[in-house]
Amino acid sequence: MSEEYLLEIEDLHKQFNGNHVLSGINFTLKKGEIYAVVGGNGAGKSTLMKIITGLYKADSGEMEISGKRVRFANPNDAHKNGIYLVPQEPLVFPNMTIEENITMGLKGIGKPKELRKKILQVINRVGWSIDISRLGLTLSIAEQQLVEILRGLVREAQILILDEPTSTLTHNEIDSLFDTIRQLSDNGIGIIYITHRFSEIFELSHSVAVLRDGKISAQGPISEFSYKRLLDGLVPTNEQPSNNITQKKSVIQSSIEQIGATVLEIDSLCGNKFQDISFSLREGEILGIAGVVGAGRTELAEAICGIKKFNSGTIKLNGKRIKNLSIRKVMDLGLAYVPEDRHAHGIFNITSVRKNITSTILNRLNGLFIPITKENEITKKYVNDLKIKAEGTNQELSDLSGGNQQKVVLAKYLATEPKVIILDEPTRGIDASARADIYRIINQLKERGLAVLLISSDTEEIVELSDRVLVMQEGKINKEIEKEKLTVDNITSAAFGVKKDVIS
Amino acid sequence: MKSFLYKIIKVRELSILILMVAYFLFVGSINSQFTNSNTIVLLVNGSIILLVMAIGQSFVLLTANIDVSIGSIMGLSAAVCGTLLASGANLGVVVFSVICVGAVIGFVNGIGVSYLKIPAIIMTLGMLGVVRGLMLLYTKGMWIENIPNYYKKIARIEILSIPFPVWIGVFLVLIAYLFLTKTKFGRYFYAVGDNTDGAQLLGLPVNTVKVLAFILSGLSAAIAGLIFVMNIGFVSNQTGSGMELQVIAAAVLGGVALTGGMGSVIGAGLGAIFFTVINSSLVFMKIPAYWNSAISGLLLILIVVGDSRFQKYLKERSRQNQKNSLGENDREKQSKAIP
Repeated sequence: MSEEYLLEIEDLHKQFNGNHVLSGINFTLKKGEIYAVVGGNGAGKSTLMKIITGLYKADSGEMEISGKRVRFANPNDAHKNGIYLVPQEPLVFPNMTIEENITMGLKGIGKPKELRKKILQVINRVGWSIDISRLGLTLSIAEQQLVEILRGLVREAQILILDEPTSTLTHNEIDSLFDTIRQLSDNGIGIIYITHRFSEIFELSHSVAVLRDGKISAQGPISEFSYKRLLDGLVPTNEQPSNNITQKKSVIQSSIEQIGATVLEIDSLCGNKFQDISFSLREGEILGIAGVVGAGRTELAEAICGIKKFNSGTIKLNGKRIKNLSIRKVMDLGLAYVPEDRHAHGIFNITSVRKNITSTILNRLNGLFIPITKENEITKKYVNDLKIKAEGTNQELSDLSGGNQQKVVLAKYLATEPKVIILDEPTRGIDASARADIYRIINQLKERGLAVLLISSDTEEIVELSDRVLVMQEGKINKEIEKEKLTVDNITSAAFGVKKDVIS
Repeated sequence: MKSFLYKIIKVRELSILILMVAYFLFVGSINSQFTNSNTIVLLVNGSIILLVMAIGQSFVLLTANIDVSIGSIMGLSAAVCGTLLASGANLGVVVFSVICVGAVIGFVNGIGVSYLKIPAIIMTLGMLGVVRGLMLLYTKGMWIENIPNYYKKIARIEILSIPFPVWIGVFLVLIAYLFLTKTKFGRYFYAVGDNTDGAQLLGLPVNTVKVLAFILSGLSAAIAGLIFVMNIGFVSNQTGSGMELQVIAAAVLGGVALTGGMGSVIGAGLGAIFFTVINSSLVFMKIPAYWNSAISGLLLILIVVGDSRFQKYLKERSRQNQKNSLGENDREKQSKAIP
């Protein structure tokens, strides 16, 4: 076989307990190539990457690095062959300096002084400025990712695997990460880029592979791909959500008819991370709140639903002022907040779907014991309504995919029968088809006359769903955009405080 | 300023040393006998068993595990040591056998925790009972009293007017310190406790490190058993019971974090001495013995909480400093990006 490929994988198979996780993967990576890999949760992306980096062994199939046949027993073997994986959640040692973080586990390479020189050289080459004596715990997530990349480069990696590197980064950070990736590619390093976001694929990569059910369903240079073809590769044709454009039109029409009376009124609300926020929300309306991470959106939501205290201003729910009420009272009055961090605040991981869904309404299920039939009815209703895929209502949450977990979280708050629902990053970290489901659910809620406050960092999501958008910047509402003027550009420029319309 | 704060974090043994000296002077001001050199040597000598075990425990704590079986291991080791000596075995054979006992039990703990994935607290809590039982079976519940005199005299050998057991302690602290800070393998203990997944991904031998940590902990308990027989001269069937909690308390007092990845053996050693100082000081302050446990427990909580609050404060400040300088950079970048 030829030597022009950095990495060549042929007919790779892998089973877990009789389940074919990977069946017949063929994949090649050239020098300096940025190769995007997409696929839903459970499509086999991470298994493939774990085989490439030596954490798993393949059942059958060949792998060649620069024309040399290899077989890895552990990550060390992969490092020796110039492969380094930057995990989705950077794994730095918080109590060690950057330098120690990078050199940890390096074998047989010179004295500390020479090593430090090498690290500084690499940092210089990619044009960063970072003080290598800082402790791991002082680093932002973006910086931790840089440290991970440095780890790979100091190990003289020729192939870098980046696993959804942008999922926790802010806009600015993503831009500078992309610059870095392009620079690395110019230096001849091959990059495998795993992502859920289509826009990134078209912006960054040279080639793309779509994984579905352990097979590559579409593969090739990016020039041969369109959004449509990517989506076709990702979702089997018969399961595809109905065409977005027609859906959107119908939503616009219905939205005009359905928006009703004002249910939530916020007047000059001030808190720790936000100042002077005023807006109102009506029945059947989806109000988007856009902004960069740290703009104060989550803090605002937490103040509205009573988790955090605010300093001044008023919140009126159905014309009644709410202040200093317990979260339970606020919920009983018809306001539900679906939190941003699913794992930390959303789900009860080791208990059943049923107990998760009814956890918010236990006080409403009257009787000495919990009425089992009623509980089951409620659970079934939401499992059917939201199309939660689970092996029965007794399955533990930890066994569900991220998308289904998110649906359970939604169900749990919908069970309180709210009038107003605040969704904080409802589609973070879930795959494309689950995302489409969540969008469908949100639109259904709207049709049923719920008022929805949608907080999201995914600007495309905001544009797709919202009737009206407030853009927050550094704790203030910077701009309000009506449905007709809603574009990604408009929101982005407002989120970063650029007054485009003034300039042009 | 920034680097100065860092240095304090790095040398956190310093804060515990300062506290200890302050406490020492405080008790000394009440009873001047407390601060004379004889008492000091006696206190340090009395803390050696705790100190040796705290060194071993530190390795386990660094990997974010815990070993509560050491009290029993020390007891069994002391019993094996006692019976072999009483039966007239050669000193080399005795030391070798006892050390094997500790290492083997530690090895079993390590295999259970790393390969069989049993939580460390369960594994070692079970082992605590098993080994205590083995000791009772082995000694049939009898005390071992006829220890040969030559062995007891070793404890009274003085080099530079410092007793031999203290030298063992100093020697072990130095070896462990050099191993942990100056060798690559030593740094792995910190890495495993700091971020296990990260260590795995870097190809570090995570399981080997964990097993070794438990072996070292078992070894240290065995050595403590040897010293115990030397110092005390007999072995009761309750030898070592309750020691595990004192050892963990001493290590934590010396700044070794239960969450792993943080602390040093020097800190743990100082913690062991401080713990003994607190316990003995109450006698010198003429506080009735019934108060002993309550007061020393309370002091332990106060000192550990106070120290951790202080460390947290220092870290917050250094983090804040860096955030501020970082924020400025970001803003510069942004203003450049926008024409």
